[in-house]
Amino acid sequence: MKSARFTRSWFWVAALAAAALVLPIVVANPFALDICIRVLLFAFIGVAWNLMGGYAKQLSLGHAAYFGLGAYTSTILLIRFGISPWIGILAGGVVAMAASLPIGALCFRLRGPYFAIATIATAQVLMLLFLKFRDFAWGAEGTTLPNLGDAPLMMQFESRAAYYYIALALLALGLAITYRIERSWMGFYLVAVGEDEDAAEAVGVDTTKIKRHIYLISAFLTALGGTFYVEYIYFIDPNTAFSFNISVEAALVSIVGGIGTLWGPVVGTVLLEATSALLQSWFGSGHGGVQLTVYSLILIAVILWRPSGLIGLFTDLYRRFASAGAARAKEVPLDG
Amino acid sequence: MLATLAQAVINGLLIGGIYALVSIGVTLIFGVVKIVNFAQGEFVMIGMYISFFLASSFGVDPLLSLLISMPTLFAVGVLVQHFLIRRVLGLGDMPQIFLTFALSLLLMNVALLLFTANYRTVQTAYSELSFHIGPLYFAVAKLIAFVIAMLLSAVLYLFLHGTDIGKAMRAAAQNREVAMLMGINPDRVFCVAVGVALALAGAAGSLLMPFYPAYPLVGQVFVLMAFVAVVLGTLGNVTGALIASLMMGVAESLGVQFVGADSGLIVVFVMLLLTLALRPNGLFGGWAR
Repeated sequence: MKSARFTRSWFWVAALAAAALVLPIVVANPFALDICIRVLLFAFIGVAWNLMGGYAKQLSLGHAAYFGLGAYTSTILLIRFGISPWIGILAGGVVAMAASLPIGALCFRLRGPYFAIATIATAQVLMLLFLKFRDFAWGAEGTTLPNLGDAPLMMQFESRAAYYYIALALLALGLAITYRIERSWMGFYLVAVGEDEDAAEAVGVDTTKIKRHIYLISAFLTALGGTFYVEYIYFIDPNTAFSFNISVEAALVSIVGGIGTLWGPVVGTVLLEATSALLQSWFGSGHGGVQLTVYSLILIAVILWRPSGLIGLFTDLYRRFASAGAARAKEVPLDG
Repeated sequence: MLATLAQAVINGLLIGGIYALVSIGVTLIFGVVKIVNFAQGEFVMIGMYISFFLASSFGVDPLLSLLISMPTLFAVGVLVQHFLIRRVLGLGDMPQIFLTFALSLLLMNVALLLFTANYRTVQTAYSELSFHIGPLYFAVAKLIAFVIAMLLSAVLYLFLHGTDIGKAMRAAAQNREVAMLMGINPDRVFCVAVGVALALAGAAGSLLMPFYPAYPLVGQVFVLMAFVAVVLGTLGNVTGALIASLMMGVAESLGVQFVGADSGLIVVFVMLLLTLALRPNGLFGGWAR
């Protein structure tokens, strides 16, 4: 019984993966492909945020700290030492993990809104510091990355599809890790912390340790996204790498899609980026403010009417379809 | 050297008075409604734009427009509480944090759409005026703003301690359940608390206008200061927020004077993180603990 539902969901994942794999072949338009890459990247950042913010309900508004550290680590290694970003991306992840330990030690003593404010402060402090680091991190002006032409070993490609596949691989990695964690003891501990930290502590969950562990993973993944982003846009400065908008978007896509669910950040990113692309084609890109105005309206609407996120709408629809199908073909049992 | 120090302290105290109006609002909402209002800075921004447009269209002095910005924002506060905040009370951290956070994003970006990112200033007869006592300079506009801010804080103190609704607010802050058992209507108390808090933010905006430019993101500067001051001054403690705001103003001013012009924000954030690390309950006890 269980296996019927199990195979069914794997079928959909396989279909989705196949569609994602052939997409760059079908979509030749570079502008459209660029949107797809952004969707994959922000969905990935959202997935990384969601491990912390969604499952353990530690509502960070400072994930730009790790995005920026990943971006700067790989760029400094590339430009100063000529080390390939393929190594730099992992080094960035490790630096982010190392940074998450003291930041976590400080912030995890705080609950709710004060945790959020403290994480904003840590990301802002890092941005202000990198604005000051003129000698080895180019200060406020930032720098362009050297264009090495088609150099796959240096994570530089002529074809945009290559970037697409890297972003897709990152997202797949993030989803696989989330899937594994969801089904492990860690996942249960995380949800327990998220539901009621004091109660979790009372039944013997080491909440500080579990938060530290998930923060390490979340920071590592976010940093991978940061490296990929600067490699993709060939430019870095503190305002881009530590942008508050990164922190906001990571949280936003998860909340709009469905906080604490595997696919929530993906659904949220697709919806928000699609909206954003539509807005751009209607209003042009000259009007600052349109995109975030609409995002914040969507966010308010979701919080007031569907705090569990929009993914529920889709699963409801799917279930309705599925049960209609099951009614027609009774030999397929649905309830596990 | 001593004169420079004293001058920096005075400049810090004067701007600290404005910070106080913002952080008293934040701490009042937190104390009574138990919500951290991430959008408080945007209401300062709205107050500034109200004063700016009254000044540029009708020639109203920004200090006089206080009489319009404060009631307007009081009304906005009542509406925000009634239609938005009320609906997420008791729903957990995510909706409570992200509702006012989304409101902040919304107001900033709507302002960007309506008013563009341009800096708007109002020139008054006293904008550039200053006098000095011995070696110390006092900017008249800042001094007026400081004095009015302190007067408003005093009025708020009298309101909280001398009127029924003020006492009801303090009671609701101390123990909501018991306050309700005593027949206090929480919806009304919450609406008044948010209304008063936003009126103070509006006042801060009007008072800033003679010497500070209005732009869509201006609220961020003040709300960050307010968060630090509110934590430093113990959450929900109005007097604590006032004292801490003045301290923050002085700390920022000393940072700018002795560390470097762009170090004001670093000083603020470092103070926030130090406070959170060392004294998460703030420096003062308070009636709302």
